[in-house]
Amino acid sequence: MQYRSQAVAYWYFAVAMVLFGLQIVFGLLSAAKYLGPDPLLYILPFDVTKVIHTNLLLVWVLTGFMGATYWMVPDESRTELHSVKLAYVQLVLWVVMGVTAIIGYLFRFGTGNKLLEQPLPHKIVIVVVMLMFLYNIGMTIKKSGRFTTTEGVLLLGVGSAAVLYLPALLHYENYTVSIFYRWWTIHLWVEGVWEMIQASFLAYLLIRLSGADREVMEKWLYVIVGLVFIAGILGTAHHYYWVGVPGYWLPIGGFFSALEPLALVGMAIYAYTALRRSGVAHPNTLALHWTLGSAVFTLFGAGLLGLAHTWPSVNKWTHGTLITAMHGHAAFYGAYAMIVMAMITFALPSLTHRRSEQGTAVGFWAFWLQLAGMFGMTLSFATAGIAQVYLERILGLGYLDTQLKIQVHFLMLVATASVFAFGVALFIWDFFRFQPRFETAANTGPADRSVAQMAT
Amino acid sequence: MNKRQTRTFAIAATALSSLVFLGLTLDSHRQFGALTNAENITPEVTHGKDVWHKYNCINCHTLFGEGAYYAPDLTKITQLRGEQYLTAYMRDPSQFYDEQTHRRLMPRQNLSDTEIANLIRFLDWVSKVDNQGWPPRPILVTGTSIPGMDMTPLQQSIAGTETTGTLPPGARPVSGQENPIALGQAAFGRVVPPCSACHSVAPGVNLAGPTLAGIAARAEQVIQAPDYQGTATDVESYIRESIVAPSIHVVPGPMYSSGGQSFMPDTYGKDLTPEQIDQLTAFLSTLK
Repeated sequence: MQYRSQAVAYWYFAVAMVLFGLQIVFGLLSAAKYLGPDPLLYILPFDVTKVIHTNLLLVWVLTGFMGATYWMVPDESRTELHSVKLAYVQLVLWVVMGVTAIIGYLFRFGTGNKLLEQPLPHKIVIVVVMLMFLYNIGMTIKKSGRFTTTEGVLLLGVGSAAVLYLPALLHYENYTVSIFYRWWTIHLWVEGVWEMIQASFLAYLLIRLSGADREVMEKWLYVIVGLVFIAGILGTAHHYYWVGVPGYWLPIGGFFSALEPLALVGMAIYAYTALRRSGVAHPNTLALHWTLGSAVFTLFGAGLLGLAHTWPSVNKWTHGTLITAMHGHAAFYGAYAMIVMAMITFALPSLTHRRSEQGTAVGFWAFWLQLAGMFGMTLSFATAGIAQVYLERILGLGYLDTQLKIQVHFLMLVATASVFAFGVALFIWDFFRFQPRFETAANTGPADRSVAQMAT
Repeated sequence: MNKRQTRTFAIAATALSSLVFLGLTLDSHRQFGALTNAENITPEVTHGKDVWHKYNCINCHTLFGEGAYYAPDLTKITQLRGEQYLTAYMRDPSQFYDEQTHRRLMPRQNLSDTEIANLIRFLDWVSKVDNQGWPPRPILVTGTSIPGMDMTPLQQSIAGTETTGTLPPGARPVSGQENPIALGQAAFGRVVPPCSACHSVAPGVNLAGPTLAGIAARAEQVIQAPDYQGTATDVESYIRESIVAPSIHVVPGPMYSSGGQSFMPDTYGKDLTPEQIDQLTAFLSTLK
């Protein structure tokens, strides 16, 4: 750790870890309900466990983004954070918002609007937290006078994420119009500005982990951002299939979302060539696993599996089936869960005592178990989804009868999800089992040395 | 390309895409009213939408294919099931489905009668939104468009029926205490010979007998037509008449009748109990 204020990242990461663990608990509960009958039907029904599962995902990934930003910006701008106190106040406010929202969901206190279930007071707190965060980061950069492309892209990503949340605060009388604007937040987050955030973390990590030249990396970062937005903005149209909007969104959605994998291919090539050409220049092999893993799994989950059902003529049959769950799980995990874990793994050796620089054995087990588990879950959803499409949508077997016939895939889902959960548990345990340390790089470890070298 | 050029590319690409997107958004707003029949969004429909949100329906069901995948899609449900059915169902789902059999059940929501009525109005508004004809084929909640597909392979084999019974694994076993509509739904597949052997409840699926989807709406037209010979005065009495005396009014088509005699067995009048006929009528008259 080069700068004392980077220590705030530890607490953000710690909160993210706890919420990640909880997310998986509620995910497992939801998956088990597919096997049924459900002994918790009147205590914790599926709609409650599911809404908590998806909301915790959003909250922990955003917590991870904020922590990773607080870690990265001092490094990039070579300065202390503008206000450590503000960062902690922001974290407390954020946690209170998150925890009360989750408790509220247990009592069905939510808006019932998919993924935007947060009640209005919580939404306002989210906006306030985002503004505090942007202010703090903006002032840090301004004070330092050093503004790199990598952090520029990150800042723009985080800033746009805040702006795009605003349509979610409004109320729409027409259900179709409210769907239309819900995707301005959700789609333009996950297939737009969050990808910017992911790409800038990727650039940051690659610049430090490989010997790649900053100028070259940042040049290509621009290309990736351009590709993300060419495809991503008009690609919103693939959420406008069959919801009551004009028909021209169908071909637009088909064409532009078919282009969406381009940026993801770009990211994977980006990571590969950086390492191939420049070699590994950092001892943290585990962080390298997570970084490359994120680039590759994004290409698989978001790119390939998204493409699999994005054409209107295919989507007509697969829309609203478990095929969507297949794509959703692999995409979110690869793009966002993995990049946050990459940043955490990179930062952790200098944020904790006595941790091996290369990554611990437990850490490697966590990586491979999660990967295997998530791959298995993706396959379970895919096989269940394909069977569902043929039986229910094409042959016209009833929904409930179809679900009975695909039970075996739900067994497979629960089994592979358990492997995944074990990997997550190991990651969390590995995070907490070493004491945090908050000294700066005066007693420099190898990680800090190479950071210092790269920065000069 | 140098860094400046790639930056220009990123900015130009984003700006251009945003511009096109905003333009199309404006145009969509111009069309939302007509596509969604916005003039039909009455205060009741709006209240129904609030009910939909309040009870977190979207985190099990899908609407327009969006939501969770744990319960059936409801986009066109009001075109498949009438108000009486949906009302009875929402009062107590366990009368219609059995958790042990289906491995999942909708928890009772304790909705007020106004909430139920307005929720149905909202769902009916949804079902009429012009959404490019999705779903391409009706999504059934239970049962099957093609008879027998919901049976186990053993039940379909010649030797199997004696040991496994004729109920498909997905059918709700009934005790006789349920709502008459639910009992009628069960009887549809259970009476001898089963109605489901020749009739589908999926729209457009005509088997040995015509589809019964939409029979309530068609019955109203039939009894008002000048060539109608029967004595029925409303939907229920027409359905009852068709069960006990199928030849009084025959559905046109050489595959359904010959010389004015329907191919449907005329044995139901004496083989079924009056309660069973009442229950079948209650069920069939909810098929809109």
